[in-house]
Amino acid sequence: MPFRLRLARTLRRWHARIGFAALIFFVLIAVTGVALNHGAALGLDSRHVHAEWLAHWYGIRQEQPKQAYRTASHLLVAANGRWLLDGSPTGEKMPHPLGLVEIGDLLVVGGESSLHVYRADGALVDRLDGYALPGVPLKAIGAGEDELVVQTPAGPFSSADVLSWRPGAPKIVAWSMPTPLAASDREAYARRLAPGISLQRILLDLHSGRFLGRVGPLFFDLVAIFLTILALSGAWMFLAPRLRR
Amino acid sequence: MRRSLFALVLGLCAAAQALGEVYQTPAAFVAEVLGTVPAPRVLWLTREVQAGAAAILDHPPANLRQRYWSDGAKSVWILEEIGKEELMTAGFVISQGRIDHVRMLAYRESRGQEVRDPSFLKQFAGAGLDKADRLDRGIDGISGATLSVHAMERMARLALYFERRSRE
Repeated sequence: MPFRLRLARTLRRWHARIGFAALIFFVLIAVTGVALNHGAALGLDSRHVHAEWLAHWYGIRQEQPKQAYRTASHLLVAANGRWLLDGSPTGEKMPHPLGLVEIGDLLVVGGESSLHVYRADGALVDRLDGYALPGVPLKAIGAGEDELVVQTPAGPFSSADVLSWRPGAPKIVAWSMPTPLAASDREAYARRLAPGISLQRILLDLHSGRFLGRVGPLFFDLVAIFLTILALSGAWMFLAPRLRR
Repeated sequence: MRRSLFALVLGLCAAAQALGEVYQTPAAFVAEVLGTVPAPRVLWLTREVQAGAAAILDHPPANLRQRYWSDGAKSVWILEEIGKEELMTAGFVISQGRIDHVRMLAYRESRGQEVRDPSFLKQFAGAGLDKADRLDRGIDGISGATLSVHAMERMARLALYFERRSRE
């Protein structure tokens, strides 16, 4: 058999083998690459994946909730920068709560430098921070005579609409205080409050191979070499017969 | 002494990083425009207003109520929107259904700071909404800051839309 024919057969065989072996990785790189290319439109950065195993894989320390804030009919549990308000998650990167207060139809969660105002159904009404607060850091929040009361370094301030503030506080204020969670509840809430990792970061790590740790990028370098070999061998198989003619 | 200075510099750097690039506080902007900081007014976002805002933003509005400040002739709207990855905060002054002027109050992206340049922002002066709730004039883009420019356009449309709804 002529050398050229043997070379062509060998090349074709290895082209197929390499292509098949690296199929999954090529598809993975292609799909993640397309998604990342349109990351802003797909809102990848604002979507988060919550799973204990994933947080563990990324080496993120998981905090277990130890306490809860309660009003007559509402419950707030927080951990890992996430809040569960009446069992529903409210967002990502939330501050550590200072308290939960019910004022009329509104539900207010206080943090050191912000107030989140919710409707009873959990819809976010407003978020007040910086200039919208009478002072920071907030030290405590409470309720008195149908008014929200916040304790600031400059003293207490009150508001009936969580909008405009007057200095001072009603005579009797029920300050929001945490109550401890039962051990079984802690574990259940910990699962629901697993830290979130943005989809953008996961796709980026899958695309670069970093998802697999230190060896990941090296492995994907190998896949890139395979892809180069495939491209060159494919080009040779396409061009060689035409050039010979 | 040197250690204290070093710690102070480090602390200031960390604080600047946490705050992002804040050029002016909203309260200072309101006071500059209206001469004082009056009690804020509120526009409640009914379902209809939410739908209008969502059509402008391409996503539902974050809050159900929007604060604004007004002296009767002018109103000031402080809005936030994500450019690429981070929130930017801009102040819009609206008079008689048209933008009087715009100021970037805080910009937190690592690139695209050109959107705070007065030469870019003055394009919004005098702009109003057409029947489709789009700006009635074109805004020139900035190379390398396309997403931030689009976010500014959305915020300008939203400020005009909110102002119109607040008068109804």
